[in-house]
Amino acid sequence: MILKPFRWLRDVGVLGMNRRNAEYILRFNPRSSFPLVDDKLKTKQLAEAYQIPTPPLYRVIKHHGEMARFEEMLGDYQDFVVKPARGTGGSGIVLVTGRTEGGFINQSGEVIPMKDLAYHISDILSGIYSLEGLEDRAFLEALVHPDTAFDAVTYRGVPDIRIIVYRGVPVMSMVRLPTRVSDGKANLHRGAVGVGINMGNGTTLSGVYRSAVVTHHPDTKEPVAGIQVRHWESILLIAARAVDMINLDFLGVDLVIDRDRGPLLLELNARPGLQIQVANQTGLLKRLESVDKAPREIFATPEIRVAWVLETFATPVSN
Amino acid sequence: MKRPAILLAAALLLISFAVISYRVIWLKYPILPPAPAKVWQLSMEAHVKGGEKETSAMIGLPSARRGQLVAEERIHSGTLNFTLLREGANRIGVWSGAVGPKDEVIGYSATIQVKPPRPFKNRTPPLEPYPPNVGEKDQAFIRRLVAKWDPLPPADRLRRVAAAMRGFWGIPPPEDQDLRAWEAFRDKHGRMTAFLVLLRAAGLPARTVEGLPLTESITGSTQTWIEVWTGQEWESLQPERGEIYQPPVPLLLLTTTGLPVIRVINGELSEARWTLNRGIISQWRMQFDRIMRSDRLLDRWSLFRLPEEFQKTFRILILVPIGALMICLLRNIVGFPTFGVFLPVLMALAFRNTGLAYGLGIFWGVVLIGYVVRRWIDKLRLLLVPRLSVILTLVIICITLFALLGNKLGLREFMAVGLLPFVILTMTIERFFVITEESGAREALRTAAGSAGVAVITYGILELEPLQLTFFVYPELLFAVAAVQVLLGRYTGYRLSELLRFRKFWRSS
Repeated sequence: MILKPFRWLRDVGVLGMNRRNAEYILRFNPRSSFPLVDDKLKTKQLAEAYQIPTPPLYRVIKHHGEMARFEEMLGDYQDFVVKPARGTGGSGIVLVTGRTEGGFINQSGEVIPMKDLAYHISDILSGIYSLEGLEDRAFLEALVHPDTAFDAVTYRGVPDIRIIVYRGVPVMSMVRLPTRVSDGKANLHRGAVGVGINMGNGTTLSGVYRSAVVTHHPDTKEPVAGIQVRHWESILLIAARAVDMINLDFLGVDLVIDRDRGPLLLELNARPGLQIQVANQTGLLKRLESVDKAPREIFATPEIRVAWVLETFATPVSN
Repeated sequence: MKRPAILLAAALLLISFAVISYRVIWLKYPILPPAPAKVWQLSMEAHVKGGEKETSAMIGLPSARRGQLVAEERIHSGTLNFTLLREGANRIGVWSGAVGPKDEVIGYSATIQVKPPRPFKNRTPPLEPYPPNVGEKDQAFIRRLVAKWDPLPPADRLRRVAAAMRGFWGIPPPEDQDLRAWEAFRDKHGRMTAFLVLLRAAGLPARTVEGLPLTESITGSTQTWIEVWTGQEWESLQPERGEIYQPPVPLLLLTTTGLPVIRVINGELSEARWTLNRGIISQWRMQFDRIMRSDRLLDRWSLFRLPEEFQKTFRILILVPIGALMICLLRNIVGFPTFGVFLPVLMALAFRNTGLAYGLGIFWGVVLIGYVVRRWIDKLRLLLVPRLSVILTLVIICITLFALLGNKLGLREFMAVGLLPFVILTMTIERFFVITEESGAREALRTAAGSAGVAVITYGILELEPLQLTFFVYPELLFAVAAVQVLLGRYTGYRLSELLRFRKFWRSS
């Protein structure tokens, strides 16, 4: 009786947590590569070496002592993002959209006093947001000015695009839209909306909010489906190339689309979440299996892989 | 990928199974733990007075014999030395040394289990010679008195002799002059000697033994009775009246073959007191006794050979892997969210001291107080390590307050909170706060409830005494636990919680 739903999940090709961990992460992602993705600064440096575009880096803060010169360090950067190098799930990220007298303005329009931001950066350095509570580094990078395509379905903050890449082949993707609940963050567990993307043409499908399937953004009430993601092919290409710079065959690639700079690599994730399946209303397992069955030639270059994806994973229009 | 794991699990199971089989088949371990048995708690206490020279007090102690197990012996010897001697079938405890002007108190205690003896083959003991002060004339006379019973089997002969001691000589009775001569002999040598001579004359090996009646009692003196060999076993007789005790014999033997229980050289013993109490021996002790008496390799390497204070720790420790196994099950198959991986096991261990209700109450209490304070501290902008230190201090303060409160209210459970894993509690408060901030109070409460639930289930398992005993007797079961853990490590199926998480899929299909 209880086994029947299990069978259904298997038939639809849903990838479960245990299988993801045992068959994909433990099997394809060597532990030695984790530090490169767990540390955003390292990822950024690596991406630069491979000429993969990322948001420009402004400042790196390594020691508490540097905070004394924080204001001086900021120079005249008017907007920027503060990130912990080893943060997880979007924690510890602060978006600064402007500056006022002795303070900053965040994406919600609230004023953050200077000492509050300094305290926050101290927290980051102490490791409060880092994976194992280890000492961390904070860095400031350029604030992304998001592509206008998602303006109607974004409540403040910056939407980003998550792509699951298996053995160098992008297999599933979604766009993550900040909501009022998620406080400008594009993380699903914080309440962002995940919207599946048709891999064949880069148009959005239905979305998942909390754990329910939705067709409209909960705050803006605009439909989330049918939006064309700009630069779709180059986005897929960046995702496909990411595997060249790091030895991880089951990878989550996070990108943003800057209205001026185009797609930028934000970070990599060695343990990508499974909620993307709900956003796409499709199981990952089938796609992973079809990659395993694909002819060897398609793995030759990122370009060939992307071409294969556009052809193979196009979601039927009727859906 | 799956194959090596399955092979490893099979190997582990095989090791576990092989060692258990060896124990059961060759070492005759019980498959089911034995039922608790009734036992007697014996204790002896006496004051030794000494003189100038070294004093020795020799006291007969109960020994393990057929139908009698002695365990948990404890000696109190004050400043004296204690040694154990064997004199024939007797165990003699010798307390020796210079006794100062003040009395020296010596003591002994033991747990004695009296079991119905199994029949066994034994050599018939030799007939002892007549007591030295009984002349040949008397010997011949008494031999003549009992000669008519010679054709009877020993047990029946004993019954006739015992009846004769009570004055019933059967039909036909002896001549009057013989009876008078017998009475004179009995009065001259005492009933005890007379009885022994009578038994000797009847060809029945007999001996006097000393010990205590098996009733709940406190007594200052021991009793003497006679044991007679009737071909298969020793039968016990009351020497004065010649009554035969029916088995189980309500007597506890201390010394045999006429050796007095108490002998003192250069001194005297006063206020000797024996106490007997009924008790129930736990299953633990019974295993312990069995294993301590064995010299097989596995028995010598048994956990029962550890000093007792460490055994208690290992009874629990050996079940912790099962707790971990439960966490594997609940997290990877059911999908319970928990704080950390092993917090629930540590909580479960702490619950053993506080009890479940108090333990859970205190857990929630400390976490909520901690959360409130943590929220407030957040405004102070403390750096990570000092902040965690503050919360740790708060946790310790809470625990101390609980203990003091418990003392006032007379609640032992509150005082046992010191054993809560305070470091883990501190991290739990921090995690609880972070999850509340990041994912909302609902998620935080869900995780806390998941942790508490897993802790309760784990506690229930740790508290199962039969399970504790089974693992203690068969520690190789840990290999089997490891095997299941290995298999769980390769379980790549869905979690129960994923049915809910991906319900959209199976509803639509």
